[in-house]
Amino acid sequence: MNKGMLYKGLFIFFIIVFAIILTLPSAGNKKLEITLTSDALPQEIQNIMNRFPADKFEVTKAEGKILVQAGGLKITDAVMNELKIFKGVKDVKILPHWAEKAVLAKKINFGLDLQGGMELVMMANFDKIKKQYITERDQLLEKKKLLEAKPAGKANADKDTIEKEIKDIDYQLKDINSNKLTDNNELRDPFKDEITKQALEMLRNRVDKFGIAEPSILQRGTEMIEIQLPGIKDPVAVKNAIGTTGSVQYRLVDDAFTSKTTGWLAANYKNPALPEALDAQEALLKKISAEIGLPKELELLFLYHRDVKTKKIFPSDIMVLQKKVALAGDDISKAWVGNDEYGALIVQFTTTTDGAFKFAKVTAQENRGKRMAIIIDNKIRSAPRINDQIATGSAQITGDFSLDEVNTLARIIQEGALPVDLTIASETTIGPSLGQDSIEAGITALVVGLSAIFIFMLFYYKAAGLIANIGLILNTLFTYAILSWLGLTLTLPGIAGLLLNVGMAVDSNVIIYERIKEELRSGKSAKIAIVNGFDRVFWAIFDSNLTTLIAAFVLFQYGSGPIKGFGVTLAVGIASTMFVALFITRFIYEVIGSRKDLKKLSV
Amino acid sequence: MERLINFLKYRFFAIGLSIVLFVIFSLVTYLSGGINWGIDYNGGVKTIVKFEKGIDISKIRSVLTENNISASVQQIGKEEHNNYVIGSKLQGEGETSEKSYQMIKKALDKGFKKIEIVSVETVGPAIGALMRKQAIYSIIIALVLIMIYLAFRFEFKYAVGAIVALIHDVILSYAFVGVMRIEFDVPVLAAILALAGYSVNDTIVIFDRIRENINIESKQTFTEIINKSVSQMLIRTILTSFLTLFSVSAIFFLGGETLHSFGQVLLFGMIIGCYSTIYIASPVVLWWEKLTAK
Repeated sequence: MNKGMLYKGLFIFFIIVFAIILTLPSAGNKKLEITLTSDALPQEIQNIMNRFPADKFEVTKAEGKILVQAGGLKITDAVMNELKIFKGVKDVKILPHWAEKAVLAKKINFGLDLQGGMELVMMANFDKIKKQYITERDQLLEKKKLLEAKPAGKANADKDTIEKEIKDIDYQLKDINSNKLTDNNELRDPFKDEITKQALEMLRNRVDKFGIAEPSILQRGTEMIEIQLPGIKDPVAVKNAIGTTGSVQYRLVDDAFTSKTTGWLAANYKNPALPEALDAQEALLKKISAEIGLPKELELLFLYHRDVKTKKIFPSDIMVLQKKVALAGDDISKAWVGNDEYGALIVQFTTTTDGAFKFAKVTAQENRGKRMAIIIDNKIRSAPRINDQIATGSAQITGDFSLDEVNTLARIIQEGALPVDLTIASETTIGPSLGQDSIEAGITALVVGLSAIFIFMLFYYKAAGLIANIGLILNTLFTYAILSWLGLTLTLPGIAGLLLNVGMAVDSNVIIYERIKEELRSGKSAKIAIVNGFDRVFWAIFDSNLTTLIAAFVLFQYGSGPIKGFGVTLAVGIASTMFVALFITRFIYEVIGSRKDLKKLSV
Repeated sequence: MERLINFLKYRFFAIGLSIVLFVIFSLVTYLSGGINWGIDYNGGVKTIVKFEKGIDISKIRSVLTENNISASVQQIGKEEHNNYVIGSKLQGEGETSEKSYQMIKKALDKGFKKIEIVSVETVGPAIGALMRKQAIYSIIIALVLIMIYLAFRFEFKYAVGAIVALIHDVILSYAFVGVMRIEFDVPVLAAILALAGYSVNDTIVIFDRIRENINIESKQTFTEIINKSVSQMLIRTILTSFLTLFSVSAIFFLGGETLHSFGQVLLFGMIIGCYSTIYIASPVVLWWEKLTAK
C-alpha cells in the first residue's frame, strides 16, 4: 500500500464514521420530554404514562416532567402531536440528539403514511379573480374610448389632463394584459402562482396558530397547496381551524326581529346550551322562523363565541340578518389590530376600491346605529355597531375588547381576505396503527430483499461477493445518512426505493466483476484486470445511473406526497451507488491488487 | 465459453410478439372500459375500516349493497387485524367524495356494532382530472429528458435503439396496467417512471460493448458484432435483471397493500425490459444502420 492509498483509506474511514453519526438522530434513541401543567391530576399523569407501555418505552418521571426514551421509529412527530391534546400536558418536545448540534445532523422525517396523520390538498379557484380582471379591463377600455371621443379644440390644459388620463389607463391596461390575463382571457401562470403563494402564507399562519408541530405546507403546481399534519386525530377540528372556504360575508342585523327571537328563546327554549349538530340547528331555526313570522328577506343564524378554555367555538345566540350581502369577504384587503386615540384596542381594516363604495353605501345615514354581522362559513362571529358613514375605504371596529378578542376579530376579518377561494380537493387521514403496519411490511420487504441479494452474491462471487455486500451495506448507510442530513422525508414508497436502489446498485458490481473476469480470461494479470475492469465500465455505469436519476428527478418534481419520498430516496441512492461502486469498491480492489503476492483473483 | 448466439435471427419474431402483445393488451383494456384509474386520478373515497372479529367480506358487501352503495371491498394486512379497504369511485355529476364517504360510514355504522375507521382518503373530481394530466405529462417529460441525454451521449443510431426499447417498455407496462385491471394510482405512476429510468440501463451496457467491439474488430459485419456483443453481455444482463428482481419481488410479495401494485408493475416492466434490451434495442440499431447506409 502506498501513501496515496493510505490517505484514500483514511478519507473513506472518515466518511463512514461521519455517515454513522448522521444517522444517529434518526435511527438512535430518541427522547421525548413531556412538561406537565402545574395542576395535572394523578389520573391524567397515569393516562400519559399508560400511552407508553414499559416493554417498548423507557419512561422516567421527574418534577413536573415525564421523560420517554425509545428507539428510532417509535417516537415521531405524530406521537408528539397526539400527546399535545392529552389532559394535564403543557408542552411536548423531542429533545435534540447530540449529533444534531455537533454536526448539524437532522432527523429524518417520516411521511404520513408511516407515522399517521392528515393530508389536505387544497385547490385554488381563480374564477372570481379572473372575472374581476376581465371586468376591470373592459371598464378601462370603455373609459378610454370615451376620453378619446371627446371633441378636440378645447383648452390646452384640458387636453393635457385627458392625455394624462389616457396614459394612465394605458399603463393600467398594459399591466393587466402583460401580467394578469392571457389573450384567451385566462389568468397568467406566474400571477396564479403569486396568488397561491400568498394563500399559502396565510394558511401557514393559521396552521401555526393551531399549534401543530412539524406541519408541512407546500405548493404543488400553480394552483394546489398540500398540507401535511402528522398525528392529527380530529380532522374536522383542523379543517375548521384552517377555515378552508374562507367564505366571509358582512350583513346587516335586523334588531327588531333579533329581540323577538331572544324573547322567544327565553320563553320556549329551556335547554342551557344551543344545539351544535347541524340538523338540530336547522330544526330549531325553522321552528323559530315559523313562530315569529319571519319575513322572506330575513334569515336566522347562530352567533358563535370562542370558549376561552377549550379554544373551540360554540353557538351562544341566534340573530336575525338581512339575506342581502352588504359586503363580501374579498372586499376587505387588510385587517390589523391597533389603538384608538384613548389607547383602547381596536380592529382596523381597509377595503378594496370596490369595497369602499359598497361600504360607504351600507354605512350611510339610514343604517347608522345598526349592527353589521361578520359571517364566516354561515356562522356569525361578531356583530359590531355602525357609528359613522365610512367613505374612505378604511375603518375601525371599536368595543370593549381584550387583546385576545381583537386579535381574533382581526384574524376573522383578514381570513375573509384570503386572496383566492380554496376548496379541499383531496383529504387523507391515516391512523397510527396503519402506519406501524406499513413500517413493519416495508422493513420486512427490505430485510428479505437485502438478504436474498446478499446470499446470492456470496454464493455466486464468493469473496468478491462479500466485498460487494459490504458495498451494498455502505450504500444503504450513506443513503440513509444523506436523507437524515438534509432532513428529507422517508415514506413507505421511500423504503421501497431503498430496496430498489440496492437491487440497482448491485448491478454495478455485477458489471464490474464480469468485466474483470473477462479481462482475466483474456490473459491479463490480476492487477491490470482490476484497473481495466473499473475503467472500461465507468461510462456504462455512469450513463445507466444517470438515466435513472433523471426519472427520479421527475418523480420528485411532479410527484405528490409519498411518491416524492420515493423520488428522493432513489436519487440519493443513485448518487451513493456511484460513489460506493466507483470509489470505495474500487479502492478495496486496488488495495488487493497492490499486494505483491497476488496470483489469483477471486471474482 | 464464448458462445455466439444469433439473437438477431429472431428479430422479426420479437417485434411481432411485442406488437401482438400490445394489440391484445390494448384491446382487452379497451373492451373492459379503459384504464382502471384509481381514486387518486378519478376522484372518490378509499377508506380502511377495522371490523370486529368474525365479520367476513360478504357481510360487508351485503351491508353496502343494501344501502345502494357501489364500492369495492378487499381485506388487507394481517388476517387477525380484520382491516378492510373499501373504495368507491365518483361516478355521476355533482357527486362529492366527502358525501360518498359519509354515506359509507353511515351504512357501516348502522350495519355493524363496532367499526373503527383506520384511514380515509377522499379525492375530489377536479383534482383527479388535473392529476391525470400531470401523470401523463410527467411520463412524457421523463421520456424526453432521458432521450435528450441518450442522444447527447450516444451516436444517433444507438440513441434511436435505446429510445425505441424504452418507449416499448413504458407502453407495454401501461398496457399491462390496463389488461390486469390494476388501479392506476400514484404508486403505479411511480413504478412506470422508475422503469423508464431503469429499463435503459442494460441497453446502455450492451451498446457500450458494441461500440468497443467495433473499435477492435474490423472484419466482422455489424450484424456479427451485435450478436457477439449481446452474447458476451448475456450473463450480465440476466444477472443484473435477476438481482433487481429480488428487490422487486420482495416489494411485491411483502411490501403490503400500498406497494402491491407498484411491485406488480415493476416486476412486469423489469422482465419486459430485459427482453427488449436483447430483442428490440439491437435490431433497431441494425435497421437504422441499414436504412441510413443506403
